[in-house]
Parts: sequence; structure tokens; C-alpha cells
Amino acid sequence: MDIKPILSALRRHKAGTVLIALQIALTLAIVCNALFIIQQRLAHLSEPTGVDEANTFVITNEWVGSPSSQRADAMMREDLRVLRELPGVADATSSNSFPLRGGGWDDGIKLTPDQVKDTSGAAVYFGDDHFLNTLDIPLIAGRNFRPEEITAMDVRDRLAPPVAIVTKPLADKLFPNGDAVGKTVYFVGNPTTIIGEVELLQSQSVERWASAFAWRSIIVPKRLAVSLGVFYIVRAQPGQLDAVMRAAPEALFKSNPRRIINDDDGVQSYATIRAKAYEGDRGMALLMGVICLVLLAITAAGIVGLTSFWVGQRRKQIGVRRALGATQKDILRYFMTENFLISCGGVLFGALLAIAINLWMVTRFEMHRLSLAYLLAGVLILLLLGQGAVLAPALRASRVPPVEATRSV
Amino acid sequence: MLKMTHLSKVYRTEVVETYALRDFNINVNEGEFVAVTGPSGSGKTTFLTIAGLLETFTGGQYHLDGVEVSNLNDNERSKIRNEKIGFIFQAFNLIPDLNVFDNVEVPLRYRGMKAPERKERIMNALERVGLASRAKHYPAELSGGQQQRVAIARALAGSPRLLLADEPTGNLDTQMARGVMELLEEIHREGATIVMVTHDPELAARAQRNVHIIDGQVVDLAEDPRFHQAVHAARANSPA
Repeated sequence: MDIKPILSALRRHKAGTVLIALQIALTLAIVCNALFIIQQRLAHLSEPTGVDEANTFVITNEWVGSPSSQRADAMMREDLRVLRELPGVADATSSNSFPLRGGGWDDGIKLTPDQVKDTSGAAVYFGDDHFLNTLDIPLIAGRNFRPEEITAMDVRDRLAPPVAIVTKPLADKLFPNGDAVGKTVYFVGNPTTIIGEVELLQSQSVERWASAFAWRSIIVPKRLAVSLGVFYIVRAQPGQLDAVMRAAPEALFKSNPRRIINDDDGVQSYATIRAKAYEGDRGMALLMGVICLVLLAITAAGIVGLTSFWVGQRRKQIGVRRALGATQKDILRYFMTENFLISCGGVLFGALLAIAINLWMVTRFEMHRLSLAYLLAGVLILLLLGQGAVLAPALRASRVPPVEATRSV
Repeated sequence: MLKMTHLSKVYRTEVVETYALRDFNINVNEGEFVAVTGPSGSGKTTFLTIAGLLETFTGGQYHLDGVEVSNLNDNERSKIRNEKIGFIFQAFNLIPDLNVFDNVEVPLRYRGMKAPERKERIMNALERVGLASRAKHYPAELSGGQQQRVAIARALAGSPRLLLADEPTGNLDTQMARGVMELLEEIHREGATIVMVTHDPELAARAQRNVHIIDGQVVDLAEDPRFHQAVHAARANSPA
């Protein structure tokens, strides 16, 4: 099928042609970027925390009666003893926060005391000598905290840890030569010696504000002894999670009833924590997916509508073509080719539009550059959609009998 | 060239059967110019659509250029239409979105002909009908007579064995009709076989032979005395 006469015919139907090409272009531009956003969100919500999520859960414990810092610390140590002794528990620790919690402490780290600008930001986790084992984060260099290094800390106290353990991304950022262990950094204005390095521990938040230090975490040898409460992180032995999640609060209440552990979210598995943390991403991915589907459906309907209209309008012309020797396949091919040409025009303009929209989002919303693969995938989807949408009316056109040429309008 | 034997065409609905052609027999030899005449509803157009393989028939036999066509499939019928038959329609049936050149090119493209040969044939056909200078014009920019001449050029470009004309001057004024008719006569003199359906006795008189149809059957022209007399009168007044 030569395209010249088809192009010539399309030039005589500019309005319909341009409108459908524009619709294809807009759909492509939006679908490409939406697919890219979906992919980024999906990739985001499957990012690892470093925690043994399958066996770990978190208890949010609040004290009743505003106990003093010392009293809170004593009760917390007793709780940890109770938890660690529970059947099915691999280990337990307390902390000020945990990965995916949504909020927590972060601070800047400097390499020299008089440095004005931080070398890196970092998520700050309080942890005792059980912290690494509970979260199942192996050390890749240096050593763990010793029990005597762990101190209790109230929120009013100055955070001045003499030692700390850092994640590899933070260590690499601070000391690119890979020799962080043993080095001193300045954390909240005080010198801190890095004694260990772990591979991975995600920051508390997955929101954009925390993305700069997403895997740069620092663990300090502290117990948060505050009247408000604390988080207990518990790792169950494989297969024991559900049983331990039921038994732990019971054991804690039995040991000390002056506490609040909410029925709704007082005890949360990491599966629940992850689901909550990425609710926004999943929602956005879903919304984008729905927008894509709706746009594609509208475009397909537009193509079906316009082609059906053209088939009805050209019924006699189709009969004439059949009378002059066109086979049913020739007629089918004519309409498929016609749609392909319109779609090609649409996707060409749409590709430029997609890039322009992406560049705007890159500068405006700090998005990533649109991958060429998404552009190509979008082009392919739109071309296939066009061909799929035009098939039914084109088949209808191919069934117009040649005798139609002799019928008066 | 064209032979129909005991051919019938029946249109069936749930309640009634209508015979458009019944025991229809006709034989057109190569090089003949035959006018098929008859009153409205007699079956002239049905005959033409069956002759041109635009429609199938219900019974009987139809040989076109020695080929029995009743068992041909849609593709084979399309191929024969494309290669052996040239159509001239009353309403011209040019494609309004294509210019004159592209209109004449339509059947040649379906034949898979190469571009240089197509161009040569198109220009020859347009020169023959006197419209080579209008190749880039669109149908809407031409008069009715010119459009019909483009349709004739389209029919001629493929060098068909048989030209089928359905009331070729029906939509034209007298002067344009005369020009088109003279063109058809010229084409016939050059050896083309032409079957023309018309209800105009003057046009019928200019054909070599008249085949008259009434109620779907070929009858003797004498059975339609008024038309018979009109044809005779037209022949008598003819300058030839």
C-alpha cells in the first residue's frame, strides 16, 4: 500500500486528522511520564531497609504517669529483659525510631570541628549492643557496641556519643578511601569515633526530605529514657512472628501494667510498617495507572469513533475501490495504514511533548530524566493501541461490498 | 467475451422472493458495442452488477472471457474486476479526496504495477480523454463531463477487455453527453468491447446492438413498441 494517496486524502480531512493526532500526542506525553513515575514509585516502595523484615516487629510503648528519666530507663531495661526471654524471640532492642517509621532524628556530620557546612546528613538511631543483632544487620568492619558504652539519654540531654557505628553509604561519603573505622567525626559539635560499619540501614523516612541521606545512618550507643515512651524492636525466630507478636504485649503488661500499647498500632509487623510507609507511593502509582488507562481508553475510543465515522462517510468510495479491484485485504490495509500514519505523526509530536513535560518536571519537582525506554514503550503502546482500535471499523470497511459503488447516496 | 446462460438473481426476504433476473441469456462478442435497455426496475443494473462481478448470482452460468465465474472467491473476482473490466458509472464515482492523476491511478495500484508504468498509462489515458492538463485538479474542480471523462480514463488506463458503462451520460447535459458518447464510440472503434446500460433510446441507437430487458428477462425489442420506435427514430436521425 503506497502512502502517497493516503496522505493526499488525509490532507483533505485536516481537522479530524490533526485532532486525533493531537490526542495521541497528548496521551503519549502523559502516559510516558506517568509510566516513568509509576516505575520510580514501584522501585521506591521495594527499596530494602536492611532489617530482617519477615521476622521483625515493633512495639510502641508509652508509660503511664510520666516517670522520671531514671525510672523510665529502669522500666525499659526490665522490658527488654522480658522480651529477650520470651520463647520464640531471637533478640530485642529499644530505639528512638526505626526504618520506615516516617519520622525520627537526623543531624549533620562534619569532619572537623570548625567546619561550617556538614559533610553529610545522617539518620540517627539509638541502639544498644543488641541493636545490630535484633535488626539482623551484620557488621562489615569494626566492632559492635560494648554494654558499658550504652548510656541512657533524655530528650533534654546533649547527644554527644563518644563512639558510633555508621552505614557503608555514610562511611563512603565521609571517608571515600574506605577507612572510616577508627576515624573521628564531629556529630552535634562533639567528636565521635567510628567503631563499626554496617552494610545497610535505611533512614526513618522515605519522603523526599530524607532522600539526601536515605541510606546514610548513624547508630549511637544510647537508650532513650523518656517518660513518653519508646520503641521496642523485636526479632522473632523464623516462623514465630505471629506467636511472638501476640505474646510480647501480654508479657510486657504482665511485667508492668503501667503502660499503653495501642490495640490498633501498638504492635506492628514490618509488613504493616512498610505498607503504611509507602501508602503515598502506592496511591500515586495507582492514580497514575488509572490516568494512563483512562487516557488510553479515551484515545482508543476517539480512534474508533473517527474511523467509524470515516468508514460510514466513505462507504461509497470503498465500494468504488472494491469495484476497481481492491480486495478486502486492500481495504483493511488502507485504513490500518491511514491510522498508522496519523499515529506516527501523533507519537512524533507526543515524544517531543513527553520530553518537554519531563524536563519541566525535572526542573520543577526534582524528577529524574525520562528514560528513553519509557518513551519507546509509550510509542509502541500508542501505535499498537491505534492499530487495535482501528481494526474493528477497518474490518467493517473491508466488508463493504463492491456493488455499493452502483448505489446512489 | 461475455456469456450468461439461464442466469437468475433472486433477492430473498423472510416473506418474499423477488426475481431481478430470470432465465437471463445474453452473449456479447469481443469488440461489440451493446446497449442494454429497458424500463426502470427491469433488471438492467442488476445485469450490469453481475456482469461486472460486483454481485453474485443465484443460478445459471456466466462465462467472462472464457472463465466460469460462479465458483470464484472474492479475491479472484477482485483480480478479474481489476484486470479485465473497466467501469464507467452514472455518478462518475471519482474519489473526491484524490486528484485526477491519483484517481486514474487507483486500479493500477491495486494491480501492483510499478510507478513508471503507472505514470505512463495514466498520462496516456488522460491525453486520450483530453484531460492531461487537469491531472492535478480535484474532481470538485471539474465539470460533470470532465469528471466522466476522468472516469473513462480510469477505466481505460488498465487496458480492460470489457468496458461496462452504467448510464454514462445520465448525469450530464446534452452537450457533455454527446462528447462522452463520442468518446465511447471512438474507444469502441479502436477495438474495445463495450456493454452500456441505458434507458435513453438515442444512446441505445448509437450502439451496434440492443438487448432489451423487461422483468428480468431479455425480450425482443418489438415487445416494447414505444422504445422500439424511439430507437428506430433515433437511428434514422443519426448523422451516421
